[in-house]
Amino acid sequence: MSSAWQFYIATLVIYAFVYIIAASGLNLQFGVAGIYNFAFIIFQAAGAYTTGVLSLGRPGSTGLQTYILGLHLPFPVPLLVSGVVAGLLGVGVGAVTIRRLRADYLAIALLVISLIATDLVTNATGLFNGATGLSLIPQPFASVTSSSTAYDWIYAAYAGVVCILVVLAVRVIIRSPLGRCLRALRENENAAAAIGKNVAGLRLFVFGVGGAIAGLSGSVLVSFTQAWAPSSWLYGETFVLFTALIVGGVGSNLGPVLGALLVPVVLAEGSRYLPAFGAPTLVPSLEWILIGVILVVFLWFRPTGLIPEPRRVYPRAWRAGGADENRPNLVDDDQRVAQGLVAR
Amino acid sequence: MQTLALYVGFGLVTASILCVGAIGFTLQFGISNLFNLAFGATMTAAAFIAYICNAAGLDIWASLVLGSLGAAALSYLLNRGIYLPFKKRTTSLFTLIMVTLGVGLVIQYGIEAIWGATDFSYTLGPGRSLHFAGMVVTTTQLIVIGIAVGAAVVMHLLLRYTRLGKAMRAVAVNERLARNCGIPVRIVADSTWVISGVLSGLAGVTLVMDVQTLNSSTGTEFFILIVAAAVLGGIGSPYGAMIGSIIIGVVAEVSAGFLNPAFKDITSFAILIVVLLLRPTGVIRSVASAKEVAR
Repeated sequence: MSSAWQFYIATLVIYAFVYIIAASGLNLQFGVAGIYNFAFIIFQAAGAYTTGVLSLGRPGSTGLQTYILGLHLPFPVPLLVSGVVAGLLGVGVGAVTIRRLRADYLAIALLVISLIATDLVTNATGLFNGATGLSLIPQPFASVTSSSTAYDWIYAAYAGVVCILVVLAVRVIIRSPLGRCLRALRENENAAAAIGKNVAGLRLFVFGVGGAIAGLSGSVLVSFTQAWAPSSWLYGETFVLFTALIVGGVGSNLGPVLGALLVPVVLAEGSRYLPAFGAPTLVPSLEWILIGVILVVFLWFRPTGLIPEPRRVYPRAWRAGGADENRPNLVDDDQRVAQGLVAR
Repeated sequence: MQTLALYVGFGLVTASILCVGAIGFTLQFGISNLFNLAFGATMTAAAFIAYICNAAGLDIWASLVLGSLGAAALSYLLNRGIYLPFKKRTTSLFTLIMVTLGVGLVIQYGIEAIWGATDFSYTLGPGRSLHFAGMVVTTTQLIVIGIAVGAAVVMHLLLRYTRLGKAMRAVAVNERLARNCGIPVRIVADSTWVISGVLSGLAGVTLVMDVQTLNSSTGTEFFILIVAAAVLGGIGSPYGAMIGSIIIGVVAEVSAGFLNPAFKDITSFAILIVVLLLRPTGVIRSVASAKEVAR
């Protein structure tokens, strides 16, 4: 394969991993805990900016960029700190939700927070170089190899490792008792509170962990693209991820993976390499139209997505509850727990 | 003081446009219990219809009327063709808000696919600047304020003194009770979507008359301010929307003038967040409480 093709494929692979990481984080918040986080992309941005300022070195050493901090820390540190910073930001934003707002009302509030963040970072140029953004962010594995093709594949492997760890971690959470509590929160918040679940704590937890995962995705992405600006994280990106989840399957383990491969990667990244036709804005606007159509069509014809969330039925608990064997449809056990039908 | 009056003047113009839009947005929420994220795109569509008419030689007032009628038709069709079927099928708040979002994307980027990312503007008649108590407004802006005041008065008369208006208020507070009292909820909802469509059209066209640039994202960018105004006033309440618009409009322009133009939106958004934290139901809370937007 020519090196141009290799670069293209490696790039797609890396983007795919980044989108899978992000979609898994959003799945935890939205698919499992039922929080419509319309500000999700700001946590990816927080991770990306953190990695940027922690690896760029002192301001002034790399062109005329102005930014805060300006450290040059060795490889894994920026990644880990990015996760922590984005997670803390998530807890901070989650605190807004302590006032229990109706889910779609909260979504609007979060959308506004996303816009505020973009406005702030764009206009407060001292933070992260304003609208121009950070560039020339150093590559973490530059010393390993001098061949750029080999570098891309090493990077893809690194992104893959982070991706697998994140997907596994989310899977563990989904299957654990904690995941059951989160689903109870999603299905009926009042009932979850009534059986003694700490609703506010669970929400903060899910905002924190989801935010941290988004931060990791931003960190992996920015070390590869080496540049990050407000235009990289417009609020529309959040909706691309939501579309991915809806297509793949909300709340399931593999749904986000499939959705991330189908929606953002094939659609946005694939068409980037199409031959240009029409006005320069035509192809991007057609992509957005397609995303809008996919959203409406999937929500109408297949709202559970391609890989639906598995129904969780626990036979022993079911019998202990003294249920009627002949009842035609089994209620999701989580829902029954939430409704207090199953003794715990 | 002079400069303060100047910015308050600008603020009143912005508030007027906001007011028309916010009443429309809040009525849709009240009647259909959904946040119509396609509202901004409808505004843009109306502004483009008016642009076509204007470019074809009609004067701006005829274009304004046609643009608003186009938006009314679009709004009616969206509700009847898409939102209502979804509402019958699901009660999921997420599905509804994502559907409105998807529709908004299709409209906004459909416009961009046709017209590109170019800026357009209307051919307005010769205007002049008027000075009044330290404010400077153009005749166009004065008319924009007039349209908003007119729309607010008409809405007030409609809501207070007509059967339709009373029915709209009843449906917003308790749909089931309204239905049981014999109010034809379907017809009331259809009428509301037409009226709110007219309002979104008026807001879209007057916005472009004021700022004098039009592109595919004009409406959606302004829409967030409309949301801020409607939520601040108390979502679902038309009178709240009027109050919220004046506050958001004046605060936005005054802070833009005194602090930094770039922070114009940030100030209004920050107000919105504070309201959501301290009093999530907004100033006039009757509808917002009935719909349990906050517990």
